[in-house]
Amino acid sequence: MNNKKHVFAEDSFFISRRKFMAIGSAFIAVIAIPVGWFGNKIIKRNDYIKARSAGLYKDDTIAKLRVSHANPAVEKYYKEFGGQPLGHMSHELLHTNFVDRTKLNS
Amino acid sequence: MTVTTYQPGEIQGLIEIQASKCKGCDACLKFCPTNAIEGASGAVHSINKEKCLSCGQCLINCPFGAITETHSALKTVIEKLANKDVKVVGIIAPAVRVAIGEEFGLSAGELVTGKLYGAMNQAGFKIFDCNFAADLTIMEEGSEFIHRLHANVQEKSNAGALPQFTSCCPGWVRYLETNYPSLLPHLSTAKSPQQMAGTVAKTYGAKVYNMQPENIFTVAVMPCTSKKLEASRPEFNSAWKYHQDQGANVPSYQDVDAVLTTREMAQLLHLLDIDLANTAEFEGDSLFSEYTGAGTIFGTTGGVMEAALRTAHKVLTGEEMAKLEFEPVRGLAGVKAASVTLFDKELSQNVTLNVAVVHDMGNNVEPILRDVMAGISPYHFIEVMNCAGGCVNGGGQPIDGNGSSWIGNI
Repeated sequence: MNNKKHVFAEDSFFISRRKFMAIGSAFIAVIAIPVGWFGNKIIKRNDYIKARSAGLYKDDTIAKLRVSHANPAVEKYYKEFGGQPLGHMSHELLHTNFVDRTKLNS
Repeated sequence: MTVTTYQPGEIQGLIEIQASKCKGCDACLKFCPTNAIEGASGAVHSINKEKCLSCGQCLINCPFGAITETHSALKTVIEKLANKDVKVVGIIAPAVRVAIGEEFGLSAGELVTGKLYGAMNQAGFKIFDCNFAADLTIMEEGSEFIHRLHANVQEKSNAGALPQFTSCCPGWVRYLETNYPSLLPHLSTAKSPQQMAGTVAKTYGAKVYNMQPENIFTVAVMPCTSKKLEASRPEFNSAWKYHQDQGANVPSYQDVDAVLTTREMAQLLHLLDIDLANTAEFEGDSLFSEYTGAGTIFGTTGGVMEAALRTAHKVLTGEEMAKLEFEPVRGLAGVKAASVTLFDKELSQNVTLNVAVVHDMGNNVEPILRDVMAGISPYHFIEVMNCAGGCVNGGGQPIDGNGSSWIGNI
């Protein structure tokens, strides 16, 4: 037996007054955006990403040290406290495990 | 019992669409990496929180400003700053320093590390640069990669899975956990820099600051909304566990107590009448503000890979890379691939590393994952970041008028 719910065919294009108003306002919102707005925004937004990335690459270029293994503070951390990378303390404090989220229940 | 994608205690439904402002224009749908936004065109949309990664890309790109966050720690942080018994440690992510200036009238991308340190110092924070933790991440994640590589080349049993994925991006991690659990062994087990920073601040940091760890309040300043969800993961109380093992007996606390986005940090400074643009530069107050150029580029797509390669090269060959800039992983192509051949001292042979960098995850990662599942992926190490351009364009960054990322739709 099928449990399919049947819908009246004449209702399939029904749009409520509320929905009609919403569509109308979205339409007006879109036509209110001047020609060229999207194109300009796209270029501008790419510029933001590029400018911020350039800022970070600049920070790298001006840094006195540019490789992680040369960081004296990191060296000090391992010497005074953490032991060595992948060591016992690292395993306990700096590593984690992940969760299969398809098997969770609440 | 209902099925959920959240562990107990995690922040759920962080990103929310305000029904009163949503016009149903569908702009957000293009930016959602998991198709979590539901609702017909023209009708009010809503977010399916089980699918949502909390990445906030919809939020920064909504033309009507209709999308908001349901959690903010701003008030709590201000209270903690006023409490003299508490040391508030501000953990500053790489991408914050090139964006927060925009909220104070400076130009996009202006590097304001010293001013940000100064402003946060004035507000009462101890400075803990997350770039220090990024360097630490490279030591752990890079060593892990070399370990897996050698074990695989030597065909050891229990050799870790290759390719290894980076695990810094909480949106990406949650995406894999929710959609591809069989690939989890490929993720580096290294914590993200944020979580390493919180843990170190409350363990080694407790000694450096000479404070009881329970009186240290860690505030991560992130370009990212998903970092709030990451900080709330119940397993991230390792500092507390460590101190319990050492004999402490106090109620559990998280490694990272609060997360503020770049926008919220700007708001905090405004509330405290601190004008970042005119603040004197400050150098930091402990070894935790020492970082390298490799740590700072974590905030942009390709940066983690480049930083990892610099260190891997040194470890494998014994020598520094002749040219540190590794151009093939830079730029805004959706997937960037590169090969590096170098002489491996330990194996006494040449090895060729194939690496890939993916950003704008929703549009680019699927084919790569399918290859890994099929066992035909040519890569050994893959960096994935959810947001287009990486963290510099994260969901917690300043919004330029009606949003800041249309890349990927061009």
